[in-house]
Amino acid sequence: MAKDTILSVGIDIGTSTTSMVVSRMTVANTAGCFTVPHLDITEKQIVYRSPIYTTPQLSGELLDVKALQKILQTEYERANLTPDQVDTGAVIITGESSRKENAQLVTSTLSGIAGEFVVATAGPDLESVIAAKGAGAQQLSDKESCTVANFDIGGGTSNIAIFRCGELLAKGCWDIGGRLLRFDAAGAVTYVSERLLPVAQDVGVELILGRPVDGPALCRLTDRMAALLAEAVGLLPQTPLCEIIRTGTSSPLDLSAVEHLDKVTFSGGVAAAYYDPPADLFQYGDIGPALAKSLQQAQGFSRVQVEKAKETIRATVIGAGSYTTTISGSTIDFSDEGAFPMQNLPTVLPTARQEQAACEGDSGPLLELLAWTARESDAQKLVICLTHTQNPTYRQVGLLAESILSAHRKALPGQPVLVSTRADFAKVLGQAIKRRLKGENTQVICIDGVQIEPGDYLDLGRPIAGGTAIPVVVKTLLFG
Amino acid sequence: MTHEELVKRITEEVVRQLLEKKGGQDSQLSAKHPPLPVENPAALEQMKRRTPARIGVGRAGPRLRTETLLKLRADHAQARDSVFRDVNEGLIKGLGLFTVKTLCQDRNEHLTRPDLGRRFSEETAREIKAKCTLNPQVQIYLSDGLSSQAIDANAADILPALTDGLQDLGIGVGTPFFVQYGRVGAMDAISELLNAEVTCVLIGERPGLATANSMSAYIAYRAKVGMPESNRTVVSNIHSGGIPAAEAGAHIAGLIKTILERKVSGVDLGA
Amino acid sequence: MNLSTTLLGRTYQFDSVKQVMAKANEQKSGDVLAGLAAENDTERIAAKQVLANLLMRDLRNAPAVDYELDDVTRMDQDGVDEAVFATIANMTVGEFREYLLDHRTTEEDIKRIRRAMTAEQVAGVAKLMSNMDLIYAATKMRVQSTCNTTLGLPGTFSARLQPNHPTDDVEGITASLFEGLSYGVGDCLIGLNPVNDSAASCAEVLKRFDEVKNRWKIPTQQCVLAHITTQMQAIRNGAPADMIFQSIAGSQKGNEAFGFTTETVKEAIALLREKGTSKGENVMYFETGQGSELSSNAHYGADQVTMEARCYAYAKQFKPFIVNTVVGFIGPEYLYDSKQVTRAGLEDHFMAKLTGIPMGCDCCYTNHMMADQNDIENLTMLLGAAGCNYVIGVPASDDVMLNYQSNAYHDIATVRETLGLRPIRAFEEWLEKMGIMENGKLTSYAGDATIFAGKAGL
Repeated sequence: MAKDTILSVGIDIGTSTTSMVVSRMTVANTAGCFTVPHLDITEKQIVYRSPIYTTPQLSGELLDVKALQKILQTEYERANLTPDQVDTGAVIITGESSRKENAQLVTSTLSGIAGEFVVATAGPDLESVIAAKGAGAQQLSDKESCTVANFDIGGGTSNIAIFRCGELLAKGCWDIGGRLLRFDAAGAVTYVSERLLPVAQDVGVELILGRPVDGPALCRLTDRMAALLAEAVGLLPQTPLCEIIRTGTSSPLDLSAVEHLDKVTFSGGVAAAYYDPPADLFQYGDIGPALAKSLQQAQGFSRVQVEKAKETIRATVIGAGSYTTTISGSTIDFSDEGAFPMQNLPTVLPTARQEQAACEGDSGPLLELLAWTARESDAQKLVICLTHTQNPTYRQVGLLAESILSAHRKALPGQPVLVSTRADFAKVLGQAIKRRLKGENTQVICIDGVQIEPGDYLDLGRPIAGGTAIPVVVKTLLFG
Repeated sequence: MTHEELVKRITEEVVRQLLEKKGGQDSQLSAKHPPLPVENPAALEQMKRRTPARIGVGRAGPRLRTETLLKLRADHAQARDSVFRDVNEGLIKGLGLFTVKTLCQDRNEHLTRPDLGRRFSEETAREIKAKCTLNPQVQIYLSDGLSSQAIDANAADILPALTDGLQDLGIGVGTPFFVQYGRVGAMDAISELLNAEVTCVLIGERPGLATANSMSAYIAYRAKVGMPESNRTVVSNIHSGGIPAAEAGAHIAGLIKTILERKVSGVDLGA
Repeated sequence: MNLSTTLLGRTYQFDSVKQVMAKANEQKSGDVLAGLAAENDTERIAAKQVLANLLMRDLRNAPAVDYELDDVTRMDQDGVDEAVFATIANMTVGEFREYLLDHRTTEEDIKRIRRAMTAEQVAGVAKLMSNMDLIYAATKMRVQSTCNTTLGLPGTFSARLQPNHPTDDVEGITASLFEGLSYGVGDCLIGLNPVNDSAASCAEVLKRFDEVKNRWKIPTQQCVLAHITTQMQAIRNGAPADMIFQSIAGSQKGNEAFGFTTETVKEAIALLREKGTSKGENVMYFETGQGSELSSNAHYGADQVTMEARCYAYAKQFKPFIVNTVVGFIGPEYLYDSKQVTRAGLEDHFMAKLTGIPMGCDCCYTNHMMADQNDIENLTMLLGAAGCNYVIGVPASDDVMLNYQSNAYHDIATVRETLGLRPIRAFEEWLEKMGIMENGKLTSYAGDATIFAGKAGL
């Protein structure tokens, strides 16, 4: 099996900055000779990094789509890249901007110019994981067999992910960032995020638009913010305020599996100031460098070893470019290569009982689920994700194929049959489904080897390695 | 109760007890002899994830711990049992297959005379020719090889998955049958007897301790007695912990299609 | 030359020295498969009787493969020191057996006698030895060799650490490596049998071994046992290798079936002198095993013990660092059961030592053989007593790549403690520094692979 490379683009549109990276990923067969191939990403090389742009904004809450479009066009030219060369990747709109009303417009516009496979993905939990991977925290924990927490501290939020020996233990997001408070050249407040107000109140600092804040007050504020981050991972006892400023849509960081932390890495824009403090704490007109300084002095973090992150300000964009794509199993089935890429496919995960019934030839429970999901989500296409069935016999595969087809015909008439299995039986299931479709011009795609959770969406890329496998992006949240 | 059944029952019992012990943290054995303390338990788990080798097993003095020793012996007993016993006759009949033998008269001869395990008597050759479709595009057959258990565990799933797959691809399949005391090379004789374009044997692999269920498929284009071994395309590690049998059947169907299109097999086909 | 004898009232007439040699063998299924074995025990003993009365020069004059046909024979015959040979040429093989066993025959005497040996003489005397003879005689035949460290010194018992993995996953290999080190295994070699025979994958593993060796300052050597040409390619590309491995056979035809020639081995040695990472003069590693010539139809009608002795004669030409027989790997068609494997292991060790090469043994068995772990533990202990240079250690005896069983890491420590043997001194000092060994015994830290984890700096 020849090596194959796929080109991936990552775009990060943060509260304060926007950047892009292009990476080339090598996909190779990692299985031994004489066995069924197993394709995996064996190498990731960043081939282009854009400069860091200030995220273009229209008035107040809106991203400037036109300006963003222009940035990307320029960067694609500089990277010597055309949209059709791009195999996979992700646009991530992080921090406060993702809540802005035109985010969906932004992502759909960008997908058009960035390549048909570059798509929007967002959600604070996924961002935490992506940023930590981009910062090298996962790798560090794997290599050194220890527990590492990465704090990706941007303008609006701090994304936290904890890894032990390469395995994700916990993830979460807090509304703590370097640009929640901004000043003009004279030191007068020009912007204050309402998410900062509970913290300001807690330390008795008054923040009023147009009025300056004095130095000691700012220090009290950023010291408290730094302490809250330490509280979030259990380095300091948790105060009620910590829960109050947790990002609403994020998971509560579940520390039950984390016995202790060995190391901490910082990434994001504030981390750049942590590892390389600027001469003037307020040169950017925000509290980023001040927060970085508070982190250096914070009591909580003195208990652990702080390591330099592999990437700071670009951690998220590199994570988006290099860590969002996985490769499907290598025994898969599809009826038409021209059908790819397919984007934003909603998934449906039957329960163990529903799968079991389907394997016994009873399509009723599966039909009920498909019909309900199609109705509720208004989805045209649905990927049926079988997560429970392990090692089905050939007879069970046949019955399962019949159940799927029967339910699918009623719930999603005329649509392609899309199935993803966690265990290794996609090819034979695809064969069995096609066998029962004799003469019908229905498309069938069966893939395996992809981890899918309830609520995930899938992007399926163009088949690689002579049709042996496909690149898959699993996304946790879509806009709209 | 036959000797084989006895071995099997004892093996199952030992394995069951071992598994139970694993589950129950407070079993007497582990309470009396806690595992050796390791400096970094998370790192040990990480290392164990990275290899199926039996690492992190601890020790009793310089020797293996009782649990490790018994698990090894149980795995070995199972592996040997799968070599030395015969394939379940009911299974072969249930799949509608007829059985022929190579020149080997018994299991012992099968193990010590690989040359005989590749050949058939004239009478057997006549029987094969009489019972099978001649000149098939693809001739598939099963053989015990070095693990009868591999056939018992996989045949019922891989054979129909493979034949259905070939049929769906419009490829003609000859009459499948079962060869007792067979070595891989017997496929060359069968290919010549039936004048098959592609011959595919599904055969039991020499068992390791990890599993005795592993089957391999050897596939060759226009196989001939005396051809180089490198003419065979191999798919190994077919079992529930490797590539599951039904999935392997579908995979091999596609592989055979490629072999028919390119009219070569083995190293010439490329990996 | 008398090729006939009378035993128990029956007269046996043999056709040739080659036939006497084959029929004098202890029973081996491989000789039966080749159609060379004695019909029954009395014929076997009759053949031994004839053999015992042949002269050493009769054996020298009857090489298993013709001189003109075969470079193994040529190198072996041309290497004989004729003056030394003259001192034994007229001894019978039976007398030579007694000479080796005699209390008055010292290690120095044997060093001298080796210069007169050809493979057929070595094999011939082995056929007259009982198992305990083979053990006892071997104890006065120590052979040392030096790569980075020196193997085979009196009082030592070493091990190759074999951290095989079913997909050559470097992290998985490293995990098994750490486990082995924590049991004091690996003083002879850290050596992997790869699944993928590619220069790139060979280089990747060598690089990891080198990193671990340097990070922990481990006094040992490393090798990846890919095909000789693959290893050479990896080394040319800059991979750090201390030695080069190849499986060898007892005839030129057998070696060609393994895909190399004598020239290839010479090139390999020259390459290591230029680009290898080791300091010492011994840089080759060979593996052998009774029956491999028959499996490639390169045995020329000779029995498998004789062909095995020819492997050692060939290996000797290249001053290897280590040689071992993979004694039970080949399967029951060559070595049927534990009795045959035990015999073969003892024969191979004795013959190699008499030839003068640093011999170890992979005491192993497959699951289709009539043998189990007890049998292989017996063989290991016997070889430990015989002064075998090294054995192979794998995690808990189960090799998850080659699907066979060898010695557990534990077994090496057990042989050492039981027989009062030690690792190579430099390696033992390293183990002491790491807190794994004290006074030749494992400490309470031994067996915890995680003492290496996380600090590897890999």
